Amino acid sequence: MTTVGAHFVSTQTLANSLVGPIMQAQSQLASAMTEMSTGEYANLGLQLGDQSGYELSLKEQVGELKALTSGNSLVSTSLSTAQSALQAIQSSAQTTLNDLAAWTQGAGSGAELQNMGQSALQSLIASTNATSGDSYVFGGINSAVAPMADYDSTPASAARTAIENAFQTAFGVLPSDPAAADISASAMQSFLSGPFAALFTGASWSADWSSASDTNTSAMIAPGQTATTSTNANQPGFQALAQGYAMLSEFGGSELGAGAQQAVATAASSLISQGVNAMIAAQAGLGSVQSAVASANSSMSSQLTILQDEIGALDNADPTTTAARISGLTNQIQMAYELTARLQQLNLAQYLPVT
Amino acid sequence: MSLSTAFNVITSSFTANAAQTSVVSNNIANVNTPGYSRELANVVTNSYGGADVASVIREANAALLEQVSSSTSQAATQQAISSGLATLAQTVDDSSSTSSASGAGQNGAAPSAMLANLQSALTTYADSPTSSSAADAVVSAASDLASSLNSGSATVQSAREQADQDMASSVKTINALLNQFTAANNAVVTGLQAGANVSSAEDTRDSIVTQLAHELGVSTLVAPNGSESIYTDSGVTLFQDIPRTVSFTPTPTLVDGTNAGAVTVDGVPITGADSPMPIQSGALAGYAALRDTLAPEYQAQLDQIAGGLINAFAETDQSATGLPSLPGLFTTPGAAGLPSMTAVTGLAAAIEVDPNADSSQGGDPTLIRDGGISDPGNPAYVYNTTGAASYTGRIHGLADEIGATQSFDPSAGLGASASLAGYANASVSWLQAQNQRASDASSYQSALVTQASAALSNATGVNLDAEMTNMLNLENAYASTAKLLTTVNSMFSSLLQAA
Repeated sequence: MTTVGAHFVSTQTLANSLVGPIMQAQSQLASAMTEMSTGEYANLGLQLGDQSGYELSLKEQVGELKALTSGNSLVSTSLSTAQSALQAIQSSAQTTLNDLAAWTQGAGSGAELQNMGQSALQSLIASTNATSGDSYVFGGINSAVAPMADYDSTPASAARTAIENAFQTAFGVLPSDPAAADISASAMQSFLSGPFAALFTGASWSADWSSASDTNTSAMIAPGQTATTSTNANQPGFQALAQGYAMLSEFGGSELGAGAQQAVATAASSLISQGVNAMIAAQAGLGSVQSAVASANSSMSSQLTILQDEIGALDNADPTTTAARISGLTNQIQMAYELTARLQQLNLAQYLPVT
Repeated sequence: MSLSTAFNVITSSFTANAAQTSVVSNNIANVNTPGYSRELANVVTNSYGGADVASVIREANAALLEQVSSSTSQAATQQAISSGLATLAQTVDDSSSTSSASGAGQNGAAPSAMLANLQSALTTYADSPTSSSAADAVVSAASDLASSLNSGSATVQSAREQADQDMASSVKTINALLNQFTAANNAVVTGLQAGANVSSAEDTRDSIVTQLAHELGVSTLVAPNGSESIYTDSGVTLFQDIPRTVSFTPTPTLVDGTNAGAVTVDGVPITGADSPMPIQSGALAGYAALRDTLAPEYQAQLDQIAGGLINAFAETDQSATGLPSLPGLFTTPGAAGLPSMTAVTGLAAAIEVDPNADSSQGGDPTLIRDGGISDPGNPAYVYNTTGAASYTGRIHGLADEIGATQSFDPSAGLGASASLAGYANASVSWLQAQNQRASDASSYQSALVTQASAALSNATGVNLDAEMTNMLNLENAYASTAKLLTTVNSMFSSLLQAA
């Protein structure tokens, strides 16, 4: 009867031989279609296996760099605001300095001195209270409070009252008192460099003039790179300018004699020029932060490109390969259908004569 | 040789022909019956020169059958593990299709992706510490992270519960199959004693063994009386003359840390760490591995992440009066202090954002910048002592803590020290690597099953064309025998007429 050779094939095996390959090809086709439409592997987890964590960490780095880059735009805005305010302070100081020189040569009136001081002080306070977003840029970390209070307010500001008190303590009279005319230039000089100057440093400055914090704001501008992103109104430059402007404003229009007034003008002029230098230095300081931010941004942007390329290399299916696979699979499935139909015909019963 | 002997030969030829025709018919009828072994008629010459069918042989191949069972067991194990891990892996999928789903971040909903989002939110907050919306964004990123851990933990729990139920139904199937096997085995034993054809009972027995192999790895042994014994692949007797009782008590709720019951045969556990002879393959082994090893290990990793998170965001005593550190932004309900990293069971399921920092629960998100989330109003835990609006020391400190190396319990399988972000990523890698391995093994073993089944079918199955050819042979033999009968008959007639 039947001889079972090495090439014996059961009818069942023959019939089922194409079912497995067709199903396999169909499931591969489905994932190839997904890859074609999304551009990345249909099942990333299965594709990457233990590289998944690495791929996630790359994506996380991208997220961090993007957050840092967008944070840097806030930092840049605040730095630019500070820069333009410093520029305004510096040019106003320069103007005052020029006016003072002209006043000294032309021997102008005390009222002129007072005007000079008042307007410059107002502009200093306005510029110092510059804001970026909802933060005062010269407030240090105490950015929610205006760093400098109004000087010419009614009732008299704390700063002004302190100056008047100091004057009275030193000379026994108020500047507006006609007796003040007797104050000598040298006495005035030593008052200005002594008790008056003390009002613009340390605790008195913090109490009467400035609400700013000594601690500057800092921001992460690149991974692991923190930069000080502001200067604050407690810097000596601000103090020198406030001191110079305040003495002009307080003592310019007073009853002081010409000698004492000249001493005021000289002292103010030296303070203001100190202030100008300090402002230039501050601008340079912030400028270097600005360039650090810019270079951080450009290095992060090239890093982003590298990271995204790397993620793409892990995640993305090659469209050409995918297209080739799809057409290969389609052919294979068509062929399998054809064969299945033909196998149905391969049956001895079809060829036997009906008896 | 007499004419009457010729008649005898013709009779035996007809009988043999009928018997062979019956065998061929049987084979053709079962051409599509899976597990059917084709039969062969053993034709021998009898004492007076005729043909007799001495016996019907069943074409069996024990070696190939063994191969089919063992590859079926292996494939079932890997399939069970793979489908369970695929469920778990969905929680960490970061492909663009899942990332666009609602609730998921740009990189999917994995705890590590959520941690990265929190880091970005902190960076943004550090750049605009006065912005309350930036503070709210940190809280919402933190909530997403906490709920990602919660839902990851819930997924692990439901995967374990599903595996437990699958084990219960697998055990039910095994017991049912063993009972069916008893009937088939008895039929073989009694049939052999009576000398009857037991092919169909043997087919049934083989098919039950194959089905059994899907549930758990088995090996078989046939005794001289034809009775077949079944053992698990670890050597525990499942059937010897009578079926042994396989029992299992399901555990309906499997929260983190709960140990589930083992499957026992005659009281001997065959799954779990306490089993002296644990089964190696079959769906049951796969479910048990998933329920008792893989899922709990991933759960432990989630718990470690949760514990690390609580510790990273902890608030330390700022007043230098020796007060203990307390949980900050991340805490668990009713937490009295920081968790120890070696006893973190249940943290991932319980972790939450402290309501004191959550504006939607009446809290103040700016406490993230200032400190004091653990105990609002207690100055000892306030970092921003001057109340400055642009204070960023604490925010930068938190960002540093996420990146700082901390200690983890090495028993969770991911080493003893790593950064929080690195640990979370390693956990994703671990899961996807297991997933990939199980999936690859599953498709490999499935291919082996297909090949082994084809080999078995070729060795023992029916080829229709071969049977048709046999049929034609038998037809011709019948026609010739009939012709012979007529001829001998006419010879007899001539003889009788002559007489």
